[in-house]
Amino acid sequence: MDAVVETPTVMFLVGTVICALSTLICWVMTVLRSHPADSSIISLAAIELYLIVYGIYAGIRQAMGAAILGEAWEFWGYIITALLLPVGVFIWAMVDKTRWSNLVMSFVGLVVFVMVYRLEVIWWGSAL
Amino acid sequence: MGKRAVSSDNGRSTPRNRGVGMLIITAYGIFAVSAFARAFYQITPFPQQDKVQFADAPLALSLSGFAAAVYILAALALARTTTVAWKVALVAVLIEMVGVIGVGAWTLMQPELFEVATVWGGFGRDYGYIPLVLPFVGLFWLLKHRSAH
Repeated sequence: MDAVVETPTVMFLVGTVICALSTLICWVMTVLRSHPADSSIISLAAIELYLIVYGIYAGIRQAMGAAILGEAWEFWGYIITALLLPVGVFIWAMVDKTRWSNLVMSFVGLVVFVMVYRLEVIWWGSAL
Repeated sequence: MGKRAVSSDNGRSTPRNRGVGMLIITAYGIFAVSAFARAFYQITPFPQQDKVQFADAPLALSLSGFAAAVYILAALALARTTTVAWKVALVAVLIEMVGVIGVGAWTLMQPELFEVATVWGGFGRDYGYIPLVLPFVGLFWLLKHRSAH
């Protein structure tokens, strides 16, 4: 039992699960609630928190001299854009508080998943 | 994502930028932000060895910037309900439609010109073909919600 799962894989899998759960919760809440559901909003907060942790982890590693495979500018551009996304979509979803707010918020999980995938490719060369 | 029988919508009285319209605007907004970020990164001359500089691929990078501008314009115009905004949105969506189909076909015919990816390259293949679907959805939505005149 000494098969050590590498950290990048863990980071990517955690991100995938959080994004998938968030999107799923938002879809279910679109059906169940005619207003923005607390669980949808919390799931966006979870994605934001994950991205903050991801950014801190990447920042510490790179500050300690660990190089990434791709371009640092591109990498941090992706992180900053991804960090803005849950906040921006949340604000937009609150403009009109209907069931569709939940569906609007479900976009975050889908897009952040793709962005984390891209980040992993820039960082390590592959996502898994 | 099917529409359920239970719906709190007011049917036809829902404005163009509310309800389902918010989804379309969100999609345009996400593309506006990501296309802008990408074009900004591509066009800004960050001093890196591997990065393709503007002079190396002026066509692909110009198209990246142009696509970003169109998405930003479309997102803003779709979010507003004035007659002018409706017209602006229609023009932006049509430009987008011509752009994604035209650039898509162009990348197939002359792939050597497009070694750097643009949003509309290969009909938006890199973005799950969403750039190809989006203008049709946008056009449908605009025609469904014609302005008074």
